[in-house]
Amino acid sequence: MTDTELDMPIIDMAVPMPGFPAHRQFVLVRLNDEGLLYAFTSIDDPELRFLVAPPEPFFPDYAPEIENEVFAALNTQDPDRLLVMVVITAGVNETTANLLAPIIVDRDSRRAMQVVLTGSNLPVRAVMRRAF
Amino acid sequence: MLVLTRKAGESVMIGDDVVVTVLEARGDVIRIGIQAPRDVQVHREEVYQELRNANREAASPTDAAVRALTELLDRPAAASPPDE
Repeated sequence: MTDTELDMPIIDMAVPMPGFPAHRQFVLVRLNDEGLLYAFTSIDDPELRFLVAPPEPFFPDYAPEIENEVFAALNTQDPDRLLVMVVITAGVNETTANLLAPIIVDRDSRRAMQVVLTGSNLPVRAVMRRAF
Repeated sequence: MLVLTRKAGESVMIGDDVVVTVLEARGDVIRIGIQAPRDVQVHREEVYQELRNANREAASPTDAAVRALTELLDRPAAASPPDE
């Protein structure tokens, strides 16, 4: 399914994000040329968007373990097709990333969910720095 | 609030498909098992609250904040901490 105006594939939340129960569909829009920053924008409410980023350039050691329940919820056939995005809070003095609960997107099924890495002790607010 | 008394091994149904089972009670610690459909996420309340707050804080940043961040990302040297 494609949104005709944006020509972007629509991503369905398998489970809504905590705090945003009514927002079920999003599009991922690239914000910088290198693909370091994206906007995860609600179809239901274009005013709502989250900044998200692939974690590798910022947190090279970050390797979330995805449980089988997540594969099932996203209808994942091939785990290599999963895209991991961390949610960024852009602050005045400091920008942080939520490492505890990344958004996992299945590129084939176009389904996503914010996965809480239970028991990982990862921070909700990790200071963002570019690692290269 | 509905208040129920249950023994270890007994369960409570919430709707048609959520089963909450008391597994063990030891002093003031109760172990609970929860069976729920995939689209019902189960979290410890404090984790859920923290996540909800973090999401609300992250939601809809100002254009200025987005611009500042993209500029920072486009200038790698400035975005990295100085070598020590």
